[in-house]
Amino acid sequence: MPYIETKDLTKTFIVRSKKDGHILREKKAICALDHVSFSVEKGELCGYIGPNGAGKSTTVKLLCGILTAESGQATVGGLTPWKSRKEHARHIGVVFGQRSQLWWDVPVIDSYQLLRDIYRIPEHQYKKRLDELIGALSLEDFLHTPLRQLSLGMRMRAELGGSLLHSPELLFLDEPTIGLDAVSKLQLREFLLEENRQHGTTIMLTTHDMEDISALCQRVMVLGHGKLLFDGSLQSLLNRYDTLRTVHVRYQAGGRLPQLPPCALAKQEGDAYIITYPPKELPTDHMLTLLQSGGAIAEMTLHERNIDHMIADMYREMAL
Amino acid sequence: MDSVRLYLKSCRMLMKSQWQYRTSFVLQTLSQLIMMGTELLAVIFLINRYTTLGQWNGGEILFFFGVIITSFYLTEAFGRGITNFAPLINKGTLDTILIRPRNILFQVLCSQADPRRLGAILIGVAALMMGCAQAQVSLNLTKFLLLVWSIIGGSALVLGLFMIEATLCFFSVKSIEMVNILTYGGRSTCQYPIDIYPRWLQLLFSVVAPFALTTHVPAAYILGKPLWNTGLAAAFIAPVSGFIFLFLMTLVFYQGLKHYRSTGS
Repeated sequence: MPYIETKDLTKTFIVRSKKDGHILREKKAICALDHVSFSVEKGELCGYIGPNGAGKSTTVKLLCGILTAESGQATVGGLTPWKSRKEHARHIGVVFGQRSQLWWDVPVIDSYQLLRDIYRIPEHQYKKRLDELIGALSLEDFLHTPLRQLSLGMRMRAELGGSLLHSPELLFLDEPTIGLDAVSKLQLREFLLEENRQHGTTIMLTTHDMEDISALCQRVMVLGHGKLLFDGSLQSLLNRYDTLRTVHVRYQAGGRLPQLPPCALAKQEGDAYIITYPPKELPTDHMLTLLQSGGAIAEMTLHERNIDHMIADMYREMAL
Repeated sequence: MDSVRLYLKSCRMLMKSQWQYRTSFVLQTLSQLIMMGTELLAVIFLINRYTTLGQWNGGEILFFFGVIITSFYLTEAFGRGITNFAPLINKGTLDTILIRPRNILFQVLCSQADPRRLGAILIGVAALMMGCAQAQVSLNLTKFLLLVWSIIGGSALVLGLFMIEATLCFFSVKSIEMVNILTYGGRSTCQYPIDIYPRWLQLLFSVVAPFALTTHVPAAYILGKPLWNTGLAAAFIAPVSGFIFLFLMTLVFYQGLKHYRSTGS
């Protein structure tokens, strides 16, 4: 049996809105999740993407036991999160990128000690785990500083530490890299990979940062308007939307751009050419042969399209 | 035992947090003391001028005032998580509570406490002592236990009343003010012995929100003028109504929780 399994998971919110000039509020049901089914194996690193309002956070909140589903089922390790909330909570860790779960005005270590008591972590286990996390997340410097005085990057590390103290089997990360600088992002990703490798922690990650996905996740799920639109590897997702490629080429003296098939678009910029072409119709090796027929090449670079552009295309195509 | 320790630890943590802003903390505690002190003075002036209210004399009225104020502000001090529930939802604290392996209401109570209310509690206790002295009531052990029991029962009732407000927060209802009729209204009305009020108010505060049972019946017994001919056993049983009320409201709260929808991303 898969570790996480959802079947026709559905959640609707009633939204009341008031129109100008009307006294009564209008009720409208918004389907945040519409019959979503998927399963995740233990130890998987799973990315969950979709535009704002697609239902990502709702899914995470259902799987954490924060929200109660309207219909459909979800089990994590055999437990239904909102029914066996307490038992389930022991096995999961959650990090929300945009809000803190530690105590704002007290030193980080005080928060950790309270968490130890909340989760009833035995002392020797707590000490061992704490040392491990201090090392892996470099918490040493600010362990005794109140949370509110920390930079965003430090705070995120402290939050991660707090959510992993009880060694959860499953870690939910809701936009964990939001607002972090490049170094902090890289550190965080490295840490998550290591945590997954060493402890076999299953990680489910929602993000808008495609770098997070490509660095961490073997698998990606795309959600839009409450429906699961794609479930597979990042590469297979990209193959579908990786429709254009760009090549920059500059010839040595005497060389000039040969005649190209109509599907390729060429643009001249100074003494260089920028050519955009669809690799499916015009395979890259053909393209290169063609280019070489124009003369000796001085310089050439080949670009894949920016991953964010592809995702934007995908959202557009799926009418999100 | 484990929970008690955790609660105390949480309180210590909250104190530590409050202490980070100590000037504000001290000033607010003082302002609480002054506010309640003024209310006490108002009652004292009132009884100096009119000496009796129905069958009750000055000291007895002070005693009633003391019981209600002490109960009410005990709840406001230690039940702050419930009495001030809306921010828990807005700030996402409730989400955090829900992902931890402990009882939800217990964690809600751990999440906030308001030691500034100690000023108001002090005034309540002072009123109790003044009332006893003026009415020449000596508290033997039975009466003392009855008094403590009645105060706790009253606190449970107030907590239950605030729990209605908290439950309404799940439905994003803004008209929470309605419930204040029972909470703050109850506090102000029931500062005075219930039998001075018209029948319908007596019914409201003995059947719907049973302040009369948790507070007035035992207090009147202690003062030696039992209400509605209640004996010692009845005086001890009456405050149970506060716990029953709280229990029922807890059930309602958990029903409401199913409709919780969390906030934002």
